Amino acid sequence: MNAIASVVIVGGGIAGVTTARELRAGGFDGAVTIVEGEPACYDRPPLTKAAFVEGASLESLALATPDEFASARIDVIVDTRATAIVPGDGRAGQVHLADGRTLDADAIVLATGVRARPPAFPGGDLPAVGVLRDYRDAVRVRELARPGTTIVVAGAGLIGAELTSGLVALGARVVLVDPHPMPGAAALGETLAAYLHGMHAAHGVEVRQTAVDGVTPAPDGLRIAFDDGTSREARGLVVGAGVTVDPALAESAGIAESAAGGAIVVDASGRTSAPGIWAAGDATWRRDVDGGLVPCAGHWEAARLDGISVAADILGGTAPARGADWYWSDRYGVHIEAVGRLVGTGTEVVRWAEPGRPAAIFRVAEGLLVGAASIDDPMTVRAARRLIDQRVPVTEAQLADPGVRLRDLLRSA
Amino acid sequence: MQGIPVAKVGEIGEDDAIVVARATAGTLDDIAVVYSGGEYFAIDNTCTHEDASLAEGWIEDGVVECPLHAAGFCLRDGKVQAPPASRDLAVHTVHTEGDQILLTPNPARLA
Repeated sequence: MNAIASVVIVGGGIAGVTTARELRAGGFDGAVTIVEGEPACYDRPPLTKAAFVEGASLESLALATPDEFASARIDVIVDTRATAIVPGDGRAGQVHLADGRTLDADAIVLATGVRARPPAFPGGDLPAVGVLRDYRDAVRVRELARPGTTIVVAGAGLIGAELTSGLVALGARVVLVDPHPMPGAAALGETLAAYLHGMHAAHGVEVRQTAVDGVTPAPDGLRIAFDDGTSREARGLVVGAGVTVDPALAESAGIAESAAGGAIVVDASGRTSAPGIWAAGDATWRRDVDGGLVPCAGHWEAARLDGISVAADILGGTAPARGADWYWSDRYGVHIEAVGRLVGTGTEVVRWAEPGRPAAIFRVAEGLLVGAASIDDPMTVRAARRLIDQRVPVTEAQLADPGVRLRDLLRSA
Repeated sequence: MQGIPVAKVGEIGEDDAIVVARATAGTLDDIAVVYSGGEYFAIDNTCTHEDASLAEGWIEDGVVECPLHAAGFCLRDGKVQAPPASRDLAVHTVHTEGDQILLTPNPARLA
């Protein structure tokens, strides 16, 4: 391949911005351009956390200031969507923008993220029905959440749970509905999911096991009909029904292979099937060494590491080995972290802070830690990350004992 | 003896930290005094990303990792090593005399 002299990154979230920064950190001297459809390159996780409650400005969520981008010679084109990619001859091709401009690129990185799946029930297009994916969504939902107003949140996954906590902090009455008997259990395990889901009711949220069947306008907002035959009036409804990938850009680039939901299939280095085109972040599924497809968990850290991998590959190098997946969640003033696999083979070990309140949950398989989560005890998960990645043997007794610091296990290994 | 005595040598464990209150230091932020790799460091204690005490973070190889979202900062110069933080951290001067650990706040960070 000819030397790469220009990289265009489509998408200015954590994956795209990390790719740009890592290219510069790795000594890349060519042109680096980020194309972002929204008004800024900003960090998404805060949208359902403290920044939501505080009504933080978009500027305060920016992943870098204009000066920082300028000093790193990263060109940023905001408020402009990329509409198509025209594959090039011997180079990645051209990125066409909505404003009519065309950018030539030796390498293109698709870091386009995902969109919230639109509500599928009747009335899902009413103005007081929303999703929460980007900054504008967060502003709209926050405007509905006046003290005393009722908001229905449909879907009690990470985003729905955090949003519910934020709405409670704003003084709204929240009805949280989810058809699963124990939302989150498939990823977090029953013990942790039960504790976390129980926090909603403990904070005055009306928690119901059902789904939204349809929505009609009502004098003060919406009338929401549920699957169980009941209905409820509310000022607004926020739906977390999963995510989809907009396939248009990848298709125009000639990337043939896609996974469920339109995700772009990449190899371990983030390469797509199209020459000169990489992809990173939530829009991707990874082909592992065995040939299987690994679904994207959609976490911030994974997207950041994708950016590092892609930049390393563009530079002709190799990215550092990836550790176990890590993520966090903030709700009701509590900070949760998780790493690795909390379900599946092995044994669950609970470290109790007090009866009924876990401080940490571990999964152990064949004498090794494979997953951990903590509630207001992040250093336990930071140690667990390293214990997992370094394959340090542990015992169930050590993990269960609140008197054992995991960092000491790491040191004595 | 120049500087504010904040602890005695040996009182801060390896890869551990203590917090010196802003009222004691006369600074805009609390200060974390960190012991790592046989050296003492002093940094503003509040992460530049969100409100978190870096003294409670993961300290290793000259870097502190924020306890909230794992933003990383170099203990020596305060530079960002890992997002989500994008602004560097202010650092202060710390040295030992005998068994005393002495802190000299960064003049730019005085209250």
